[in-house]
Amino acid sequence: QNSELFTLTYGALVTQLCKDYENDDDVNKQLDKMGYNIGVRLIEDFLARSNVGRCHDFRETADVIAKIGFKMYLGITPSITNWSPGGDEFSLILENNPLVDFVELPDNHSTLIYSNLLCGVLRGALEMVQMAVDVKFVQDTLKGDSVTEIRMKFIRRIEDNLPAGEE
Amino acid sequence: MAACIAVIAKENYPLYIRSVPTENELKFHYTVHTSLDVVDEKISAMGKALVDQRELYLGLLYPTEDYKVYGYVTNSKVKFVMVVDSSNTALRDNEIRSMFRKLHNSYTDIMCNPFYNPGDRIHSRAFDTMVNSMMMQVC
Repeated sequence: QNSELFTLTYGALVTQLCKDYENDDDVNKQLDKMGYNIGVRLIEDFLARSNVGRCHDFRETADVIAKIGFKMYLGITPSITNWSPGGDEFSLILENNPLVDFVELPDNHSTLIYSNLLCGVLRGALEMVQMAVDVKFVQDTLKGDSVTEIRMKFIRRIEDNLPAGEE
Repeated sequence: MAACIAVIAKENYPLYIRSVPTENELKFHYTVHTSLDVVDEKISAMGKALVDQRELYLGLLYPTEDYKVYGYVTNSKVKFVMVVDSSNTALRDNEIRSMFRKLHNSYTDIMCNPFYNPGDRIHSRAFDTMVNSMMMQVC
């Protein structure tokens, strides 16, 4: 399975956003927004293909995301670590990230969160199964860290069934 | 182990040039520049040659008193030039070929970096690391 076209397409998307918006912060927001719009749709495909049932707790959710979700769409299985004592926060550790193959961040984009699309996807997908979460990168190999770490925090259950948000 | 490695764009300007610090850098720039004429000669002599690995590698371009200069050209007409110390007789032809292949592979990796614009000078940590590993170790 050749993921180069996917990686290059994502790269073209990010660099185009960098040209369109003049600062990294706006690009980060756009990536998150786009990711959200993908996530709210992707969840249906995911649920249909994976046939997982409703998760009983956040730990199950974490497992499903790492072992089934990431595997299905990115071909990688991040590890789950750093659970908070209350069980409402955990980290996904990615040894490698197909989105960033061949990418080297130039010095003038040091605050760019290159893979921020992923945060939006996770946030949007989980919102569709009534979970409000906060997702952010806390380590990034593009910035010199040894691994890429995504921190996921459960905020609350979404009880009112508002129609699917578009951002 | 090379004394100088250069990557030249198809329009014949340098994209990257790195030489051992002990020698006068300008001398290497001049050597690489003059070797481009030989490269162009060889390219036009190739004519309708089939494109395969052997044809990409141009071999010894010309020897000087102290150095030997080797060349390699890609299908997109990007050239790699390597200057090697003449006294380094241990360096065999297939070693030079494999060094060029590594250069070529690293070059394609740079091209895949979405932040790199083709035609820009090359500023890449990964490329620097790879080139450093091929340069003469001078204490």
